[in-house]
Amino acid sequence: MEFILDFFRSLFNTMLALLSFGKKTVKNTLNINVKTNDQVLNIELDRSLEIKEVKEIVSEKLGVSTDEIKIIFAGKELTDSTTIAECDLGQMSFLHAIKTKRRTEKPASMPLITVEEEDSVVVPVEDHSSKPLCETLQDLKLVQNDENVETTRKAHFFVYCYFCKKMCRGKLRVRCCKCKECAFTVYQDPRCWDDVLKPSRIRGLCESNEDHPCTENESGNSPFAEFYFKCAEHSLGLENDFAVPLKLVRINEQNVPCLACMDVCETILVFPCEFRHVTCLDCFLQYCRSRLLERQFLAHPDIGFTLQCPTGCPNSFIDEIHHFKLLSPEEYDRYQMYATEEYVLQAGGVLCPRPDCGMGLLVEPECKKVVCQNGCGFVFCRDCLQGYHIGDCIPEMNQIDMNRSCEYTVNPNNAAEARWEDVSTAVTIKVSTKPCPKCRTPTERDGGCMHMVCTRSGCDFEWCWICQTEWTRDCMGAHWFG
Amino acid sequence: MNKMTNPHRRLQKELADLKSAGLKSFRDISVHDDNILFWTGLILPENPPYNKGAFRIEINFPAEYPFKPPRITFRTKIYHPNIDEKGQVCLPIISTENWKPATKTDQVIQALIALVNDPEPEHPLRADIAEEFLKDKKKFNKNAEEFTKKNSEKRVD
Repeated sequence: MEFILDFFRSLFNTMLALLSFGKKTVKNTLNINVKTNDQVLNIELDRSLEIKEVKEIVSEKLGVSTDEIKIIFAGKELTDSTTIAECDLGQMSFLHAIKTKRRTEKPASMPLITVEEEDSVVVPVEDHSSKPLCETLQDLKLVQNDENVETTRKAHFFVYCYFCKKMCRGKLRVRCCKCKECAFTVYQDPRCWDDVLKPSRIRGLCESNEDHPCTENESGNSPFAEFYFKCAEHSLGLENDFAVPLKLVRINEQNVPCLACMDVCETILVFPCEFRHVTCLDCFLQYCRSRLLERQFLAHPDIGFTLQCPTGCPNSFIDEIHHFKLLSPEEYDRYQMYATEEYVLQAGGVLCPRPDCGMGLLVEPECKKVVCQNGCGFVFCRDCLQGYHIGDCIPEMNQIDMNRSCEYTVNPNNAAEARWEDVSTAVTIKVSTKPCPKCRTPTERDGGCMHMVCTRSGCDFEWCWICQTEWTRDCMGAHWFG
Repeated sequence: MNKMTNPHRRLQKELADLKSAGLKSFRDISVHDDNILFWTGLILPENPPYNKGAFRIEINFPAEYPFKPPRITFRTKIYHPNIDEKGQVCLPIISTENWKPATKTDQVIQALIALVNDPEPEHPLRADIAEEFLKDKKKFNKNAEEFTKKNSEKRVD
């Protein structure tokens, strides 16, 4: 009995310890994993410590002199005078300590980027080649020459974290694209999002194996850096615990009002259009919701199911669809469902006509008999979407007559009354809608003129409610308003 | 993130701005039944034949405002090529294709007043009145003036 009590007491204490750990009390020490060539040391480090002192601690453990150790973090070799507090290290973060026989000379920085990108979000500040990456990058001033705009020193990154299941602050990290080891120093700081997000733009030196350093190819070129993001709001102490950068989300340093609610919010979404239109995150979500309800997301061939700037600017598609992860899980499910359906339709597929099924099915163009595989199992005719049949499709009304003929006679009026709701809904839809002549989307006209514009995003076909063909000047003259 | 939902915050602000602007041609602005999505107001056109009366309009904002446009209906009957018997008006600035979320209600009102002052018979909602407007301006003016006298509200200038 005592044993069990003791067990619970210790459990309780552990929980307490965990709780107090969870609270954001500014502890002055950090629990850091120092990864060396062959082992991982777990060390408590005071935030005020300089790298020089870290080297002393590590060298003692490894049994080498401090001169033989390099400390690498996020793509940079840290200088002796850098303090722990200057790096955006969190609990259980990784530092890399490399045993080295010689101090490697940095090769003269080479022109690696030829294309000037306008899409820059981070700019390096002066020359801090040996400062940690988080210190050398800052949020970009939108107007380059505006001296009045105050910029904070550190770059802000936002990520979608699958572990926290929400948008979190993010941390930028670097590793070697060949061996995936983080003991890697970059020759040049990234200057824009493309440098970070696109592969093979910035080279660096891989120091994970001094005797056989990684090379890009046979001729011995330096390997490229691979940038990635981590969530700054949780720590599992894992090196490969990645998060997706949300590059359009930023801190509103210029106090730009949201184009929808006109409020100046702290965190904003900047659309990738020419004017860099801004909405607050609440309005961004509201925009997504209203477009989702109306099925106005567009299936972009390269990006996927996405939206453009609410002002309708050209070339303003959100090209990282994880931004839609900010919607609620139910809304995101709906987004995925629509995206899948749209993909199936665009690829020439069909959706299972059974109510509550709607499974997307990709079938050969000449195939008429469709089986709802992995769905409800319904077998149907591709052309008339009725149960599969041999021979020509028969209009639905005749089909009801046929079914009746072999049984007993029912008064047609009674039959019309005695309909389960699903059927009558289907009938209502049939009666009150007309299909878009181009994409067949059932369309209801609830007033206004006869000029119809297809509501299905991407179709936008303009047609005449009366002629059920393309809208023409003749329609306008003859029966614009009925 | 517990704050008032977006359309409400923006509409409160727009309403306050409009009221304090004290427009000559748009007055008596009020919110219907404490519902911020439903406004009414009086239009006072400057041009004849409508400058002898005031016209009550309703503005309905959708829940998705400002990502969807507001709708405007005339509550006062008006003899106008662009406004039909039901009070529906075809205003390009608030059509689904043209709507921009940054468009403010005062711009919409200005566009509406401009349309009332200067009808556009090329895009009519009432073909009969448009034809009269184009072919017999005198008759149109007379009819519209009489109609205004009979149906419109008093102006409180």
